[in-house]
Amino acid sequence: MARHSVVVRLAGESGEGVISSGDILTQAAARGGYWTQTFRTFPAEIKGGPCMYQFRLSDEPIHSHGKDVDLLVCFNQEAWDLNWDSLGPEGAILYDESEVTIPDEYLPRARPVRMEKLAKEIGGSLRAKNMVAVGAVTGVISFDTTPIEELVLRRYAHKEGVADANIAALHAGADESADLKGTLPLAPPVEVSEDRMLISGNQAIAVGAIAAGVNYFAGYPITPASDILEWLSVRLPQTGGLTIQCEDEIASLASVVGASYAGAKAMTATSGPGLSLMSELIGYAGTAEIPCVIVDAQRGGPSTGLPTKTEQSDLNHALYGGHGEAPRIVIAPVSVEDCFWATIDAFNYAEEFQVPVILLTDQGLATRLEVIARPDTSTIELTTRKTSAGVERENYKRYEYTADSISPMGIPGEPNGMYVSTGIEHNEYGHPAYTPEIHIGMQNKRWGKLEPLKNGMVRHAQHGDEQPTDVAFVGFGSTFGPVREAVDRLRDQGLSVGAFYPRVIGPFPADAVTNFTSKAKRVIVPEVNFTGQLARLIRSETGIELESVAKCDGLPFTAEGVFDLVTQEVAS
Amino acid sequence: MSTMAPTRKPSDFKSELKPIWCPGCGDFGVLASLYRSMADLGLDPSQTVIVSGIGCSSRLPHFASTYGIHTLHGRPLPVAMGVKLANPELTVIAVGGDGDGFAIGAGHFPHAARRNVDITYLVMDNEIYGLTKGQASPTSLFQQKAPSTPFGNPEDPLNPLAFAIASGASFVARGASFNTKALTELITQAIEHKGFSYIDALSPCTTFNNTQDSWKDAVIDVAPDHDVTDRVQAFDLALRGGFALGILYRQERTSQTERYRNIIEKAKPSDVNIMLDSFNARKGAAIGKG
Repeated sequence: MARHSVVVRLAGESGEGVISSGDILTQAAARGGYWTQTFRTFPAEIKGGPCMYQFRLSDEPIHSHGKDVDLLVCFNQEAWDLNWDSLGPEGAILYDESEVTIPDEYLPRARPVRMEKLAKEIGGSLRAKNMVAVGAVTGVISFDTTPIEELVLRRYAHKEGVADANIAALHAGADESADLKGTLPLAPPVEVSEDRMLISGNQAIAVGAIAAGVNYFAGYPITPASDILEWLSVRLPQTGGLTIQCEDEIASLASVVGASYAGAKAMTATSGPGLSLMSELIGYAGTAEIPCVIVDAQRGGPSTGLPTKTEQSDLNHALYGGHGEAPRIVIAPVSVEDCFWATIDAFNYAEEFQVPVILLTDQGLATRLEVIARPDTSTIELTTRKTSAGVERENYKRYEYTADSISPMGIPGEPNGMYVSTGIEHNEYGHPAYTPEIHIGMQNKRWGKLEPLKNGMVRHAQHGDEQPTDVAFVGFGSTFGPVREAVDRLRDQGLSVGAFYPRVIGPFPADAVTNFTSKAKRVIVPEVNFTGQLARLIRSETGIELESVAKCDGLPFTAEGVFDLVTQEVAS
Repeated sequence: MSTMAPTRKPSDFKSELKPIWCPGCGDFGVLASLYRSMADLGLDPSQTVIVSGIGCSSRLPHFASTYGIHTLHGRPLPVAMGVKLANPELTVIAVGGDGDGFAIGAGHFPHAARRNVDITYLVMDNEIYGLTKGQASPTSLFQQKAPSTPFGNPEDPLNPLAFAIASGASFVARGASFNTKALTELITQAIEHKGFSYIDALSPCTTFNNTQDSWKDAVIDVAPDHDVTDRVQAFDLALRGGFALGILYRQERTSQTERYRNIIEKAKPSDVNIMLDSFNARKGAAIGKG
């Protein structure tokens, strides 16, 4: 019987073609009409080190990368040693016969593939090893090789013979696994007319920034955020804007603040260590009320930590980082598709509230490839800041107290809006001033303007029952995918279950969370960190009783793992 | 700067806020020179942005009737770069002290210089931290006594002009607060220069490190036969020339603004829908490619 989901994991040494094999299969699957989601681990080493590429294929939309591996492809012995325990109960194995020894009890479901030998015979080098592996995979899951051949032909169109050798290697690989053919039959993709995209979280953010009208991007290379800098370096000039690589993260955000002061929509992107360096400037932008967007693709901490692994451990820093008490908005997109929309929201909120906005993703969400429906750009609405245009020079107050606490911002070139932006406490004119009345008034203004975000203006992410009576999941960011799949499976078992994910997590929508959880027997808060930062936040904001499930293994949650939290009692 | 620009007086650039500096502070002379220079150039105050860091001298933007950004300690240069890149029509002047520029902010200085960011950077150098009451700064002399160096400064001073020339600044000059006529002229030439112009303005702190008399005795003019286009000569003058006032180095080089303009002009115009199409799954999205 055809299956609706197949999980394939390729593993080997970095540089052996593991990643390119995964990319080719993912690309071909997307081209063939399948929904896919990938999950990769990268070695932190510059060259070499073990790497792994997992992808899940389905004829139906999927929201997680899967847990039990249906097909494990081992390029070398270490690949087996590190990955055998991820195999599902009936998971099949393909392995390079010259490199890998498989324990006897696994041999009945394992097939040797002459990856190196065939690659040498066909292409004269090990270069085509990955195509032999790709071919072997297509045989087992009954995957049409036509889209792969098209990709190969396109990629090597300029290199005579190379495309032929790769296609020959592909067919030879498929022959190698011929006796496993059809053991993992994947249901054929459903024909659709809608446009779909294959895109990563970082790419969705970058193109979302373009959609939001970004003019200026500054960044400093850091894993796993660098590809936003690289992508916008190519693309932003095509819209008349510019991207610059700065000397550090401080300069990156400082120049973003300067560009925004001058009227640009400006953004930077970093990971935890960079966010630490930006802390003082986030406080400045909050105090001087300068719009800006800061992407934090979180990685494992603390300190240099796990640069290539995922974690959600910057939540506290994003919400509170920096001295004093400086306002900011923190947005946590819940999927690759949401990375696009959340980036537009981030710019809109920054402009509307004249405040720094931190967009919190993580390594898993930032780097995974996913098939998503193409966003309908005709529905995009953009906000621009309130400026001093039309205000009389004599009456102009940059930090004027207003009903909504949002004041007109002077933009250089505008004759009546001249003011001095400052991080020192100031009066309505922006002049340094330190009386109790002024400090109280300005703190009230800077924080008060964000109140609408708590009260219904934000579209939060929700799945399952709106007021579940059995289990309520509350989380943030990338755990939404596996949680929503677990919610569906738990509801299939007759339980009343739902998930509520605040997309704007700072300021925290306490009333909405309280309302959502009010009838639930259990409230479970899954997050990828050590101290349970979200659980603490929810407790302090709402006082509700909850079970904190914080894990810090550097890996994303799986739907199966979340399902088990409910079906197997949690020790709280 | 066009011929249609209205005539402006130095007082047009004064704000309603009075400087908070100590009596006799060199920064008064620098501020007066800046007012006069902006008037001489006929700058439009609403097209002018003065960017500063933190310190006594970094209060300056509040005393000028232009746009201004009083940023964080050490950060005026990257903020000023952002302003200029976002709107190249603006005249951008960064100001600050020697602690702001060469201690906490020193990491930004060589990059602003080598990028040839099209701004003027005016450092009021008093060889001391004034705002925090007299500690040694990166330009304080060896063995100088200060609250933080009670046994005499064990460190050698940094040479801002040599630093600027070595880093690739395309305009490098020294002026003095007690010689406002010459300083005004230097600031005017610096603002007119295309690219990164650096002025080290000797600006004595009469409260914590009163060098006024010794500096007045020490300054000399850059020799008339000095070739400002010769980088080696400029470097020699910066290292061995004592307190030579005037332009040490000037180079014609495309500014950062022009280089980015070229990048933008050469880019193939695109929009969000074209970019979304590049990820189209059916057409074989180019994974990992722009």
